[in-house]
Amino acid sequence: MNVATRTAGTRAQMPHRSRPIRVLPLIEVFVLALLVAIPFVLSGRPELITLSTNIVILSLLAMSFDLCWGFSGIMSYGQALFFGVAGYVVALVGRDLEFSQLWATLPLAMLVGGLLSAAMASFLLLGKKTPTSIFVAFGTLTGAYAAERLVAGWQYVGAGNGLSAIKLMAFGGYEFVEGVEFYTVALSCLVLVYLASRLLVRSQMGLVLAGMRQNEERLAFFGYRVQVFKALVFSFAGAVAGLSGALYSYHQGFTGPSNMGPGLSTTAVIYCLFGGSGTLIGPVIGTIAIELLSYVLADTDAIRQFWPVILGVVLLVVVMFQPTGLLGLIVSARERIGSFGIRPGSSSKETR
Amino acid sequence: MDFTIKFIFDIAAFTSVMVLIVLGLGVIASMMGIFNFAHGELVLLGAYTVYLSDEYGLGPWPGVIAAPFVVGLIGLVLERTIIRRFYKVPIIAMLGTYAVGLIIREIVRGLLGGHYKSIPEPIEGAFSVGGLEFSWWRSLIIVTTLLVIAGSYLLLSRTSIGLRVRGALENPMLARACGISTGTLYALTFAFGAALAGLAGALIVPLYQLSADIGIRFLVQAFLSVMLGGVGTFEGPVLGAAAVGIMASGLPWLVIPVLADPLVFVIALAIVRIRPQGFITVGRL
Repeated sequence: MNVATRTAGTRAQMPHRSRPIRVLPLIEVFVLALLVAIPFVLSGRPELITLSTNIVILSLLAMSFDLCWGFSGIMSYGQALFFGVAGYVVALVGRDLEFSQLWATLPLAMLVGGLLSAAMASFLLLGKKTPTSIFVAFGTLTGAYAAERLVAGWQYVGAGNGLSAIKLMAFGGYEFVEGVEFYTVALSCLVLVYLASRLLVRSQMGLVLAGMRQNEERLAFFGYRVQVFKALVFSFAGAVAGLSGALYSYHQGFTGPSNMGPGLSTTAVIYCLFGGSGTLIGPVIGTIAIELLSYVLADTDAIRQFWPVILGVVLLVVVMFQPTGLLGLIVSARERIGSFGIRPGSSSKETR
Repeated sequence: MDFTIKFIFDIAAFTSVMVLIVLGLGVIASMMGIFNFAHGELVLLGAYTVYLSDEYGLGPWPGVIAAPFVVGLIGLVLERTIIRRFYKVPIIAMLGTYAVGLIIREIVRGLLGGHYKSIPEPIEGAFSVGGLEFSWWRSLIIVTTLLVIAGSYLLLSRTSIGLRVRGALENPMLARACGISTGTLYALTFAFGAALAGLAGALIVPLYQLSADIGIRFLVQAFLSVMLGGVGTFEGPVLGAAAVGIMASGLPWLVIPVLADPLVFVIALAIVRIRPQGFITVGRL
């Protein structure tokens, strides 16, 4: 709280300046409008609706990585682990309990993802010894890798073949197949999660997270339990990844060991960094851009074969030359970090 | 008894390969503080060199000899152009090297056309001691590894370049102030690590079939070995590799194989969590 009032105080002392135009809300509104317009514009092209649904679902995964890396500094190679496990759980609930009502299974998937990531966070982050960030990155990588190997050899969950013909997601008597209705459900999830995440990272807690990114040690000396904050964000991100994984399984009607491994995690990393990490909307834009590019280029055989090479080059170029991603080109650093809690205008009166 | 000796021999051969990979990875991690995610692909390039020389009718031997040099050179080029930008940001370095690895792996996959290629053992057959059969090639792997360990140890402890390396390891700033070019040392270290990976790749390719994923299977185990042994020492990664190698080949006998594989990772991770400095420091404290 103190930190917030102090920031507001310094702001009040600053000479009045014309406020720069805020680009980020404009981009957010634009992307939302685009995604809402899709079912109306593309209703005659079922394959494009399927692609859009995939993009929306993968955006959730990319966003969950952004919460880890962009907001709490955890390089997580394990987002696919929560994604995959939740996907398997809804598939198994559908197979063994013959139950797939979305009002229960989607929260269940979030719970599974959240609990699993909370368990992982308490092992990797919490404890007497503060772990190095490299160790945490390896921990998540190892977790995802070990889980992939375990599932690939486990007969009950279909071993290497995975689970196919997953029971369709249902609401009451209505069953969702690929199409506009499924897209609507996925988009609603994305919007809800986006709003919740935005609330989280722009709240007072978000201020702590921003401080952590600047100087973790100093925050610790202020008395914040830095690792607990990291663990909380990591668990929330795990829940988001779980939701994404459940939707993905339902949508594809299939889930396999590769949905759980470091490969998919890294794809999420590429989406997020390409769009611009630490902005929440960046991962969504990155997913849209890369998936569209992949769709357009997939027609040419020569390019499809070397598509992973292109992804690698994209990742390399981004980390070497443009670490803030696409959004970094148009959004200022000041806006990316953002303002917190009380609005500058109203707070200046309070401090006086 | 016979079975035990055979079993130990097989573990030793597998562990030797791990040691070669881990030594290269460990040297790079200790010197520059980055974990090279492209290391598995350097192993792959070593294996691919052998395949190429076999494919062009030269037989595998020129490939085996050339592999460390070819891959070392590639490592040198990579370090000068890309890797050195990442020394200040170890977390980003993981992504950067991963991207490099992805590019190499997928290009090789394209060149191989997605097929598995098998390469015959350059020395076939086995010799028998006391009625037990030992494969020549596996024995060669063990001997080569022992030679490489001994050679690297001597290089580090007896030569002037080793002295500089140790100086740069202990205190890079002071080393620079003494006129030691740490930039050059880093490039040489990376090339050396890459050469070891290339050698490992050349040695294992007759045992496993050549595919683009040949390096990946060792990578996570190798990372854990380095962390287990402790970054910043010479002995640490070697011991770590031995520990992981023994666990990986021994655990399937104790628990069901499906569980053994992930269990190795979990155990290793738990040990690192409890002793982040690695277990070699036990003797030093």
